[in-house]
Amino acid sequence: MKVMVCLKQVPHQDAKLDINSDGTWIQEDNIKFEINSYDTYALEEALRIKDADADTEVVVVSIGPDRVTQALRTALGMGADRAVHVNDAEAFGSDALCVAKVLAAVAKAESPDLIFTGLMTDDGNSSAVPPMLAELIDVPSATGVLHTEAANGSLKVERELEGGAIEVVELPKPCLASIQTGANQVRYASLKGIMQAKKKPIDVKTAADLGVSDVASKATIDKVYSPPKNATADILSGSTDEIVSGLMGKIKELGVL
Amino acid sequence: MSNILIVAETQNGAIRECSYELVTLAQSLGGTVKSLVIGSGVGDLASQFAGKGGGETFVADDAAFANYSVDAWNKAIRAGVEASGADVVLISNTPQGWDVAPRIAAGLDVAFVSDCFNAEDQGGKLVCFRRVFNGKLDAQVTCGAGKAVLTVQPGSKEPFSGSGDGSTTALSVDLSGVRSKFVEIKQAESTGIDLTKADVVVSGGRGVGDPEKFPEVILPLANALGGAMGASRPVVDAGWLPHAHQVGSSGQVVTPKLYIACGISGAIQHLVGMKNSNYIIAINKDKDAPIFEVANLGVVGDLFEIVPALTAAVKAAKG
Ligand SMILES: Cc1cc2nc3c(=O)[nH]c(=O)nc-3n(C[C@H](O)[C@H](O)[C@H](O)COP(=O)(O)OP(=O)(O)OC[C@H]3O[C@@H](n4cnc5c(N)ncnc54)[C@H](O)[C@@H]3O)c2cc1C
Repeated sequence: MKVMVCLKQVPHQDAKLDINSDGTWIQEDNIKFEINSYDTYALEEALRIKDADADTEVVVVSIGPDRVTQALRTALGMGADRAVHVNDAEAFGSDALCVAKVLAAVAKAESPDLIFTGLMTDDGNSSAVPPMLAELIDVPSATGVLHTEAANGSLKVERELEGGAIEVVELPKPCLASIQTGANQVRYASLKGIMQAKKKPIDVKTAADLGVSDVASKATIDKVYSPPKNATADILSGSTDEIVSGLMGKIKELGVL
Repeated sequence: MSNILIVAETQNGAIRECSYELVTLAQSLGGTVKSLVIGSGVGDLASQFAGKGGGETFVADDAAFANYSVDAWNKAIRAGVEASGADVVLISNTPQGWDVAPRIAAGLDVAFVSDCFNAEDQGGKLVCFRRVFNGKLDAQVTCGAGKAVLTVQPGSKEPFSGSGDGSTTALSVDLSGVRSKFVEIKQAESTGIDLTKADVVVSGGRGVGDPEKFPEVILPLANALGGAMGASRPVVDAGWLPHAHQVGSSGQVVTPKLYIACGISGAIQHLVGMKNSNYIIAINKDKDAPIFEVANLGVVGDLFEIVPALTAAVKAAKG
């Protein structure tokens, strides 16, 4: 069994978000990056299949600049077998559909039985790439998955609906599942794993290597900006004592004491 | 925009409110509005929707649509796009919408913008607005020439409540080759903690930073106020608290007399679970956190200073 895991390296969730000089994205120099939180759960879900069946190969794929090597090393350290790094400035500046086309080319070359991705990314929040990738390679897909169970030729998944309800779906393999946060408890890379990861291969490619020539976006970001504030809270200021007495005044007024 | 197709969604035998929000958006974009209703035995719902802003409404009615399947919906929507000649397809960003919409765009090889809270026709160009970085920034996205598929954030528009001319047209869909198979729906288990009954909910988010801090810092304030302890999703995902404490779109929706959010940024999925509370206090060290937009009263500061001091003051006041 071969499982392909797509992961993106994104700005750390606590990074300070300053807007770049042309206003189209954030300033990415000198901030910390991490593996997209949703994708860590996707990787863990794949590694659990490998834990249960040692014949499983887990291939991690990421599109992005040089810094992405670090994310791939982390994934290899956690237990993935090898990595494909698409390092191509045009491909990672493009929209979800182009990203999906590049990943589809990787998937066609790898022909995995299962593809796991995160439900969405912590930066773009689009949740677009996984179903697009599935459509482009013509396999069934399920999004927002909290539980997977591989059985004879198919994958049974539990999709999260609103309010905590679950939809159980069965997909014949090959298929794709986008994993929701909380699906599992994500492991850390062990010291041994990190040492072993140094010897694991990272295959670096461009979009052209993969035979993808059309990387022009059909939807482009004109600008990003701080959301205009519609309404805003009255802000209490002063010493902690002053703030607490302000809060207490309100709490008493509400009659909840 | 010349032709817009609304993909309406049904739930528990009715058209969802968010589908009427799509009507409002479609009307603001201008052009001809057509709709699509998919399901089994949904003829009446489709007529209803057609007369309430949906316009010419295509009905994909088949026993095979009794339950959602991504492959079946993909085929039905593609047939609807074809039949309607739509340039713009609007789908609500619900668990069904986000499951199928990107496949439609990829299959048609057209522009896709997800989870828009607004879209405008600016001189023939479709310009969309959406949140990025979990609500910390907004982005303006322009679609190039050709068709576009948009998913729209539920709650971002007023639902259309007027009426209009409409008719229904049966749409036949070739359902060969459907692979994804619906098995069952499992309803959320009730776990004993009912946050919806509490007068006061004190919630902690990722900013609380550490599982031990919930019993040390958040719970004592909840107890002092005679309330319940809530949490944002990352707290539950990390296994710090059970799911029963989660407030938000995939947790509980609460409307207490007082909601206190500590170290919660205010992502939309959290806000839908608590924004209708009677009174909201937010404590967050980031003055730009979106939670301050729904809060009535805010403290820009360290929760580890404010919350214990407030707990002490509440206890003192109760004597
Ligand atoms: C399909 C789907 C469903 C979802 N359902 C839900 C849901 O039901 N409920 C939910 O909550 N989320 C849900 N989410 C996740 C949501 O998008 C956000 O990721 C989440 O709400 C963020 O939680 P947070 O505010 O605790 O964390 P963050 O966004 O990381 O915010 C932490 C905040 O803590 C502040 N902070 C840090 N330290 C301190 C300190 N010492 N003192 C004061 N403030 C501090 C920071 O300034 C920051 O604003 C869902 C997402 C998806 C995609």
